[in-house]
Amino acid sequence: MSESAAVAHIPLYQAADVVTARRAARELCEQLGFGKADQTRLATAVSELTRNVIQYANHGECVIENRSTTTQRCIWVLVQDHGAGIANLEQALTDGYSTSGGLGAGLPGTRRLVDQFHIETTPQGTCITIALVKPL
Amino acid sequence: MTTIALQQVLHEQRSALLTAWITQVAALGDQHSVHEHALDALLRSLFDDILGILERQPTANPSLEHEESLALALRQLVGEQARHGSSASTCVNVVLTLKHLMSAQVVTATDVTLEDMLWLEQVFEQLTLLTVTAFLAIRERQITQQSLSLLELSTPVLRLWHRILLLPLVGVIDTVRARQITESLLEAIARYEARVTILDLTGVPVLDTSVAQHLMKTIDAARLLGTRVVMTGISPEGAQTLTKLGIRFADVISRATLRAGIAEALLLVGQQISPLEGKR
Repeated sequence: MSESAAVAHIPLYQAADVVTARRAARELCEQLGFGKADQTRLATAVSELTRNVIQYANHGECVIENRSTTTQRCIWVLVQDHGAGIANLEQALTDGYSTSGGLGAGLPGTRRLVDQFHIETTPQGTCITIALVKPL
Repeated sequence: MTTIALQQVLHEQRSALLTAWITQVAALGDQHSVHEHALDALLRSLFDDILGILERQPTANPSLEHEESLALALRQLVGEQARHGSSASTCVNVVLTLKHLMSAQVVTATDVTLEDMLWLEQVFEQLTLLTVTAFLAIRERQITQQSLSLLELSTPVLRLWHRILLLPLVGVIDTVRARQITESLLEAIARYEARVTILDLTGVPVLDTSVAQHLMKTIDAARLLGTRVVMTGISPEGAQTLTKLGIRFADVISRATLRAGIAEALLLVGQQISPLEGKR
């Protein structure tokens, strides 16, 4: 329905930016007509990923985009940083593994929360894209 | 070579400029603005300081940061303005008003050079910068104070019944707040020898792994003091999200609503809410 792709760029520098990012995600989700469960799903996923950026890489950015087409509703989120990258990606995506004494559910949990999940990590930084997709 | 003309103009028009400035500044603000006499005194002292700087030999890059008396007067003025709810633009306008008044005088004088004008321009640029910085610093401090008082307000531990505590959580739970919540809860548990603590999460916007971990730690600590924890207010979406994330609140009693949670808590201490008729 809405042709114009709504885009939100949120720079991530401090913990409060996590709140800004997930609120933006929730709002766009609502605008696009996703249900409450989907809004919570995406807001939580964005919260996890952006918090990782603040915790491990200090700063980065979050881009939230409406990528809906005529056949499907799609909300796409990119979270990237220029930190040291994830040393062992396979482990990081395993439940219960954390390098910081956390629950180790953030990355693997986020992967389960969203419909599309893609991660690229190098020693120069990490870039994660996720998406919620609903056919119209 | 240069500033003599500028100095002369400013010197001759000194009292006229000051009067005009005070009048115009008074017109800027509304009736709620700073008390007249206090404002007048501030403007006078600021005016003297500004003239003092303008009468100096021009330098390429006037830095006003080390002008203690000027900075103090400006900070006071901005502080007064900010306290009375003036906007940043009003504060800047106070300074710009004086600049306009001075430029108007200087332009009409015959022997004023371009260098004079440039100097006036530079000094007022710096003054404007200083005003904005002062205003932002005050705002920043207000925000910090407000968030601190919010922090204090936002973690009340309520004594719901004999040996039952209620902790309604509202808003974002970060590390600082989590620590505060844990502290005030543990203290209350010890003081009231609470057997049951109800943790209401209705007002928590997002339950992610970080929040969950903070909660788990709080719950574990509370348990060590001998209280049972009843969690309430997790929304259906929240529950779904938590399980998808793979977070388990094992051995924690959880109820969908605060009402059900209170009933459960009362049950745990052997009480119940019943209608009055039954007892009569």
